[in-house]
Amino acid sequence: MLKEIKVLIRPEYVKKYLLCIAIVTIFMVNFVSPVFAQSSSYVLPYPSFMPGSTFYRPHLLWEVISKYFYFGSLGQFKYNLGESDKYIVEAKTLYEYGQYMYASNSLNKSNEFFKNSLDSLNNAQKENKDVSLQRELLKGAALKHIEVLEKSESFLPEVVVWSPEKVKPKTIYIKKDIDEAMSIRRKIL
Amino acid sequence: MKLSFLLLPAYALFLILFTVFSYLYLDKNLIFLANFYTGFSTTNRILVSLLFFLLVVIFFFFYYFFLRQIKKGSIKLKNVVLLTCLILFFSYPAMLSYDIFNYVTTAKVAFTYHENPYIIKPNELTGDKNLLFTRASNKTALYGPSWIIATGIPNLLGGGNFIVTLFSQKLLVLVFYLCTSFLILKITKSPLYSAIFSLNPLVIIETLVSGHNDIFMMFFALLSLFLISQRKLGGGLFSGFISIFVKYSTLFLVPVLIEVFVNRYRKKEINWGKIYYHSALLMFAIFLLSFFREMYPWYAIWFLIFVSIVPNRRILTYTGLGFSFGLLLSYIPYMYSGDYFGNSLIAKNILIFLPVIVVLVLELKGRPWLRKFS
Repeated sequence: MLKEIKVLIRPEYVKKYLLCIAIVTIFMVNFVSPVFAQSSSYVLPYPSFMPGSTFYRPHLLWEVISKYFYFGSLGQFKYNLGESDKYIVEAKTLYEYGQYMYASNSLNKSNEFFKNSLDSLNNAQKENKDVSLQRELLKGAALKHIEVLEKSESFLPEVVVWSPEKVKPKTIYIKKDIDEAMSIRRKIL
Repeated sequence: MKLSFLLLPAYALFLILFTVFSYLYLDKNLIFLANFYTGFSTTNRILVSLLFFLLVVIFFFFYYFFLRQIKKGSIKLKNVVLLTCLILFFSYPAMLSYDIFNYVTTAKVAFTYHENPYIIKPNELTGDKNLLFTRASNKTALYGPSWIIATGIPNLLGGGNFIVTLFSQKLLVLVFYLCTSFLILKITKSPLYSAIFSLNPLVIIETLVSGHNDIFMMFFALLSLFLISQRKLGGGLFSGFISIFVKYSTLFLVPVLIEVFVNRYRKKEINWGKIYYHSALLMFAIFLLSFFREMYPWYAIWFLIFVSIVPNRRILTYTGLGFSFGLLLSYIPYMYSGDYFGNSLIAKNILIFLPVIVVLVLELKGRPWLRKFS
């Protein structure tokens, strides 16, 4: 037995093992786990009005009104995905400015809209609409969102205590929030 | 008397030939009429171009003869209009333009798929068979809400059958063509004036064959002015809004409305002949402006409708006549070459403007008082 092991770890075999491991690793990185390795070509919008801006509230009102303009299951899909994109950009921008409380709210909104966009797509499918294009679009969006979230996570603290003036301090679990957001998006991949 | 007796049967025969001719242009991708597809228009370009030229010329001869006979009172306008509608209703609508497919498909987005056509483009409805032949399917609705709502009627009548929907769409346009003819008759009380518009070959081809929505837009624009002239302000404004929200071009008539309201406010008597003349000028101006984008033949309907109400404005009437002929001829370069650009585009522009210049020169030569200034 010992003799067989010695034969197996001879230098010429070790080289072959390393080569095999390298090939398998490349394969794994490229094909098995595309979520982490690929960068999506999906384009996110520019940041919109931010909390604190004069136009933020009218902009929220417009958001509610335009929901009715986007009638139909595919229209709702577009609306929800558009809103999810907008809020993920908002969350990213607010994280970068250290506005963790607002960022956390935006991220939650983005999650809700993302879930709704999937629901709209399922409704469209129930109405016998071909949603293959929209599913691909949603996957692209999910990949892009994950990409943005991973980047944000790399420079953010895991937990912060948010203590604004005259208000009770609140603990924000940033890492947990981001992980949850990523897991919502990974479900559709 | 003899000519008027022969004129209608000859015209009917001609219209039947025109209808048959229109099917030579069937789209290869129109799978619903695949049995009728011959590919003739693309394999016999010279012959088709010559035939089209000939048919347009004959159409104008009939126009001339009908106007004469109607003026004499030996032929009833109603008979000619109904005969034209009855036969050309069966013509192939995408002979010269594919817009009708866009109307049908946009209506399908709204009323069959229950999606907002201003948000969802037809090509997002993957797998829909209409995408095989609909042009501009990568764009959201090109027309205003009035038109989208109106196209719900053919969509409903079609019941999911494309051919029935397509011809219901033609029927919708045909109804508004009849309404417009009647409205002009009501305003002018002259069958001749109504015939100047209704029997114009360009109006007939672009409306009864191609089924363009411009007649719908202009009917409501005219109805708006008519109702205001009858002191029915609410109905007039409502019709005006319907018209504007078809293609937005009739927004150019707002100055005319202002003119009416200012005169009424100052308690001045309104010269409606002048109002229709100003409307014709404004719509002619926007028609000319379209040249900078692309001058589509059916845009001429915008001003021809008002010109027919004031045909004593001879220069405008003759210009309209010249454009009617030239714009129909402007289809020939594409028919001949299959190309929209280069020499084809140059030839197209020459064909549009040359008849106008010729007609105007002839008209001006016929006016002795103008010679004094030359």
